[in-house]
Amino acid sequence: MTDSNTTRREGDGGRRRFLGGLGLLSMAWAGGLLYPVYRYLAPTIPKDPFDAEGKAPVEGVKAEDIAQPGQGRNAGFAGGGLVVFRTPEGELRALSSKCTHAGCNVEFQGGSIHCHCHGGVYDLEGKNVSGPPPKPLTRYRVAEQGGLLYVYRPDKA
Amino acid sequence: MQAREGEMADHMHTVPEEALKELPPAHKALGKLGRALLARFPVWPIVDFLRNKKVPEHRHAAWYMMGGLALFFFAIQVFTGILLMVYYRPAEPWQSVQRIVMEVPYGNLMRSIHHWSANLMILTLFLHMFSAYFMKAYRAPREGTWLVGLALLGLCMAFGFSGYLLPWDDLSFFATNVGLTEMEKAPGLGPWLASLLRGGPAVTTDTIGRFYVLHVVVLPLAVLGLIGMHLLFVQIQGMSEPDSFAALPACQKKHKKFFFDYFASEIPVWLAAFALLVALSAIWPRALEAEADPFGAAPLGIKPEWYFLAQYQALKLFPGKLEYAGMALMGIVPLLCALVPFFDRAVPSDRRGTWIERAGVALLVGFVVLTVWGWIS
Repeated sequence: MTDSNTTRREGDGGRRRFLGGLGLLSMAWAGGLLYPVYRYLAPTIPKDPFDAEGKAPVEGVKAEDIAQPGQGRNAGFAGGGLVVFRTPEGELRALSSKCTHAGCNVEFQGGSIHCHCHGGVYDLEGKNVSGPPPKPLTRYRVAEQGGLLYVYRPDKA
Repeated sequence: MQAREGEMADHMHTVPEEALKELPPAHKALGKLGRALLARFPVWPIVDFLRNKKVPEHRHAAWYMMGGLALFFFAIQVFTGILLMVYYRPAEPWQSVQRIVMEVPYGNLMRSIHHWSANLMILTLFLHMFSAYFMKAYRAPREGTWLVGLALLGLCMAFGFSGYLLPWDDLSFFATNVGLTEMEKAPGLGPWLASLLRGGPAVTTDTIGRFYVLHVVVLPLAVLGLIGMHLLFVQIQGMSEPDSFAALPACQKKHKKFFFDYFASEIPVWLAAFALLVALSAIWPRALEAEADPFGAAPLGIKPEWYFLAQYQALKLFPGKLEYAGMALMGIVPLLCALVPFFDRAVPSDRRGTWIERAGVALLVGFVVLTVWGWIS
């Protein structure tokens, strides 16, 4: 009994090493298989929405749509959603429309900006003034050129 | 709540003595898990059954591997099919396949593996069917397994036909057109079925919606259900033994344990099949032709996939009004295959068995000749 156990244990050493090596090899093989699958599924990095001058066209709204003070629209550009509006003083502004609380699209309501999901309110500077939003909305420099609107890459802080 | 050995909470099952002997000791994690599971799910008889599952060993035993191999290719199809569905859009079929081929990392590889695995699966199914036929595995009591297997072969060909349209390139458009036109000529349900599949008088993107749903929902569900039946039948009835093996005295019959002796010998076959798939896909990736133009001329030399070539060639051999004869032949062959187990109930030495063997050889030769003829003509 003791003898056969000893023999078995000695034999097991080689067997264990072999199985261990086989395990490592299969893990490497599985990794090699999963890598293409991961790459296939991994989202590709989106193209930079801004051109060489740091400018991107605004889609869904034209300058004439918001010619009057107090007019505003939800719009967007390749990098995300926007609210574009004129302040009561007539200044053209563009803010990210993505609420900083839970990511809903906010709405321009004349004197302030509201999020309907959880009642967040921002002022026309984009500052969070009431409700759950923790941070102000990102502000973009916006310019009108030939009736079309463009936003610029925000300056890095 | 802790249940000590021998003292069980209500609704718990007693773990059989035999199971306790086989499980790792109770103080080890696996042993503990095994005891806990068996106390909750009294499945030891099933485990024991599978542990004792045996495969006959004889010189034709290699053919037993075909079913497992087909299942392996099917698993590859499910896996790569799910991956392709991530980017495929039935509303912009060609554009989305082009994106898979041109832009998505390894997309061309995934699509090519799906293509090659489909072809090898059908080839394996044919080998599986003919080997079961010549080993007379269809005989009572295994008529059900044979019939379900035939249905599976038919459904897999429907898989091929429905998947062929989805890329919406020139080839797929005209192949579907031809296939549905032939179906329309079949008497009886033909015109009705063809129009139902086509979703109108002509093949349009509406047809894609129908073929897509068939290809990714209806056929997979049906095939999975039938595979379950097929495998269950085999487990209940055991592996069929060819006459030469069955005639041996019990002491000379050698068997291999399925777990894990036989199973382990299947793994290298699957690995080789996988290597072959990847190699074929890398060397001959599936091409994407120009986007289908419903008003353009059909491309030169257009032919169906190889597994439809025999039918295609048979139809060409019966021109004009004789086409119905060709179609009748095509309907009769599967019907005869389905009836074989009910005709051949005979003992091994009976004459009927010989006739069935000859008919099988004739079918196999006919199929190969028509396929090759269709290929080269």
